[in-house]
Amino acid sequence: MALLETTDVWKRFYGLDVLRGVSLHVHPGEVVGLIGPNGSGKTTLFNCITGQYSVDAGRVVFKGRDITGYSPHRVCGLGVTRTFQMVQVYPGLSVRDNLLVALQEHQERSVLARVLRVARVREAEARARDRAAALLEEFALVRLADQPAGVLSYGQRKLLEFASALMAEPELILLDEPAAAVNPTMIERMKEHVRRIHARGKAFLIIEHNMSVVMDICERVVVLDHGEKIAEGVPAEIQRDPQVLQAYFGR
Amino acid sequence: MRPAARASAVLVAAVVAAPVMLGAEYLLRVLILAGIFVVLAISYDLIVGQVGSLSLAHPAFYGVGAYTTGILTTRYGLDPLPTFLVAAALGAVTAVVVGIPSFRLRDRSFAIGTLGMAWVLQLVANNWIGLTRGPMCITGVPPLMIMLPGGVELTTIFPRTGYVLIVVIAIATYLIAWAINSSRVGRAFHAIRENELLAEMQGVNSLFYKMLALGIGAAIAAVAGGYYATYSSVVCPSEMAMMYTITLLIIVYLGGAGSLRGVTVAAVVFVVLPEVLRVAAAARLFVYGGLLLGAAIYLPGGVEALINRVERAWPGRSATPRSGR
Repeated sequence: MALLETTDVWKRFYGLDVLRGVSLHVHPGEVVGLIGPNGSGKTTLFNCITGQYSVDAGRVVFKGRDITGYSPHRVCGLGVTRTFQMVQVYPGLSVRDNLLVALQEHQERSVLARVLRVARVREAEARARDRAAALLEEFALVRLADQPAGVLSYGQRKLLEFASALMAEPELILLDEPAAAVNPTMIERMKEHVRRIHARGKAFLIIEHNMSVVMDICERVVVLDHGEKIAEGVPAEIQRDPQVLQAYFGR
Repeated sequence: MRPAARASAVLVAAVVAAPVMLGAEYLLRVLILAGIFVVLAISYDLIVGQVGSLSLAHPAFYGVGAYTTGILTTRYGLDPLPTFLVAAALGAVTAVVVGIPSFRLRDRSFAIGTLGMAWVLQLVANNWIGLTRGPMCITGVPPLMIMLPGGVELTTIFPRTGYVLIVVIAIATYLIAWAINSSRVGRAFHAIRENELLAEMQGVNSLFYKMLALGIGAAIAAVAGGYYATYSSVVCPSEMAMMYTITLLIIVYLGGAGSLRGVTVAAVVFVVLPEVLRVAAAARLFVYGGLLLGAAIYLPGGVEALINRVERAWPGRSATPRSGR
């Protein structure tokens, strides 16, 4: 059974059909690429999956549960996290707190227990701090742990955002252009991170324009154009698909 | 405790205790007002500074508390102290009523929404004569009286004990706000303030936490209103005036939004300073306005930034930065 499945998803903005019946699926532990020219609806589809947008028609199913119309925090609670094309962090919070926020709502949630700091909460916080320390290590952010995220460079923010998306041990991670606007060394590091985390059994759905990255890390690729799925297959096939070439380069 | 922290704790305790020893009535009455503003400013900061929602409805919650205590004591003969609990509960309920429609809006629209709701509540206070007596005000609210073991009586009749009571309420407010802000609840608040979209995407139920901050802030403001009713013995619709929103906004931003100690200091300074400036009667408001303007220009981080600067100059400071702002 697919981990994530969208069925005939439609999204309309002011009379413009941005998504026109998109169906795709991601299997557990699979790395799927989502490509297409600018404005083809890739990020819109992410927003429909995570609940930021409500869909006009169609269904989104995660782990057999219909999550269409769920609010973002509920979708996240089920095990889907994401990064953003416009990298998002909490600028005024320390790097460590940025990570801690990303896990705490998946643990105990009683307000009174939290304010009174009962044993259960202290244990959860200790576990969260251990996990944050491990991720700081893994993403080479230890030195910056106590700095406010607002002082980080673009690349560092991107690493922090990626690490935050892993805090809650999600089963599916949506990456929106992980290799955009970063230097070649950083692109290699991003690829390594995806491979390593994939090896731990996590599934990815990745929007990316950098074709060498897509070819390197994706097992399967879905191509959108003008809100429609025009092709799907292993990277090597997609590269030769006449419809894809037409969408990207014209005739 | 570090020596610096211990020294400042002793200093604060001495400043708080001195007026009681002195017993100067005028000074005490000014400080009681300062105490009320400390409670209001800290509770307002929970909403504006911690969770980052610019509510303009705070005086309405204060008014709900004042009317609750005023009506329950004068009409139903209840003892003032238990009415504070009812006031807190009704304050929180009012917050939910204000919050449900207003939180559907964002940023400036949210501010206008809360302003509208506060306006409606003031109109109700002015016009529902049967309940509030409108502009005739509720009069003859009995003073708060608490008998301590050993025959010591704390009451709002006398400024000296009235001052002690508001100090107790202010300290309790400070501790509650500190416990919340430094907990995981506070971290969720700060995340929403810093980036609400990201917080939602990371599982933070932002509507729940914003409502929580508004509710707790409103409950505390309502208790301050209840105290004021027993202290002044009169409750009028003007307690809910919009003017107080401006005052609270100035206090929170001059204190440093999100900084508990900054906001507390700013509340005291804001109330006491105009009184101190009476030595130069003619130039008083001019000087006061000038000081506010100067602070806004040269101290953009508010009192918190000033305290930070002093701390940095102090030997033996801790090296870790504060979480949040």
